[in-house]
Amino acid sequence: MGMIETNENGITILAVDGNLDAEGTQAMEVKVLGLLESGETCLLFDFAGLDYINSSGLRVLVLAYQRLKKASGKVAICGVKDYIQEVFEVSGYDKIFSLYTTREDALSGM
Amino acid sequence: MAENVITFQLTNKMNCFKCFQPKVEEFGAVHSLPMKVIFHLTLCLDELITNIIDYGYADYDEHPIDVTITLLDEELTIHLVDDAEPFNIFEAPEPELDVPLEERDRAIGGMGVHLVKNMVDHIDYKREDNKNILVLTKKICEECCSTKG
Repeated sequence: MGMIETNENGITILAVDGNLDAEGTQAMEVKVLGLLESGETCLLFDFAGLDYINSSGLRVLVLAYQRLKKASGKVAICGVKDYIQEVFEVSGYDKIFSLYTTREDALSGM
Repeated sequence: MAENVITFQLTNKMNCFKCFQPKVEEFGAVHSLPMKVIFHLTLCLDELITNIIDYGYADYDEHPIDVTITLLDEELTIHLVDDAEPFNIFEAPEPELDVPLEERDRAIGGMGVHLVKNMVDHIDYKREDNKNILVLTKKICEECCSTKG
């Protein structure tokens, strides 16, 4: 799993590649908690390079959502593969997160 | 003809995902399974094995977890056998999908099992000889490899 953090127009973009298995998810959780603690309020997860996510990975996204909702912040996700989109649908999280096809769409829509 | 059964043993002391994922990928590649099916198979094993390891044992010993995956007549069968505490997947609490996220008591509880139930077509569970025996089946024809929605 690889993570690249960038910032555009006040939105922190976390591009995650590879597998969010237990190990990858833990690394992402540490990263996300760090961002939240440093006061970030606008988070975009770019999952264009993501091949795998499980319920623990979803839990980290939900955690970010719950924390940022209280701070009037935003969480969005872009670029998910179709079979990962399905996981969002089955879990009902597609109704909670704004899911964008591309990073550009997300940046202009957030 | 390519072998249509793979079987392997994991233990609760291993990094299981890193052990089984390459095996599942290879099995999928050999049998030209759709990407989505390989993902479903990996996710089911990951969620179930994680549950077993996180909640299943009352001691700190090493325990075997036996996995068999069979492909026969367009149907995949996953056989999962462990000696953890009894865990009947049908009695696991469902996530509170209708309750807004902020109000859920069990924010994520049961989501892994919920995903598994939606990724396969049929599940059998029995407890025998102090073992949990879980059998999942999934049809893999193009039209039916989607989730149940």
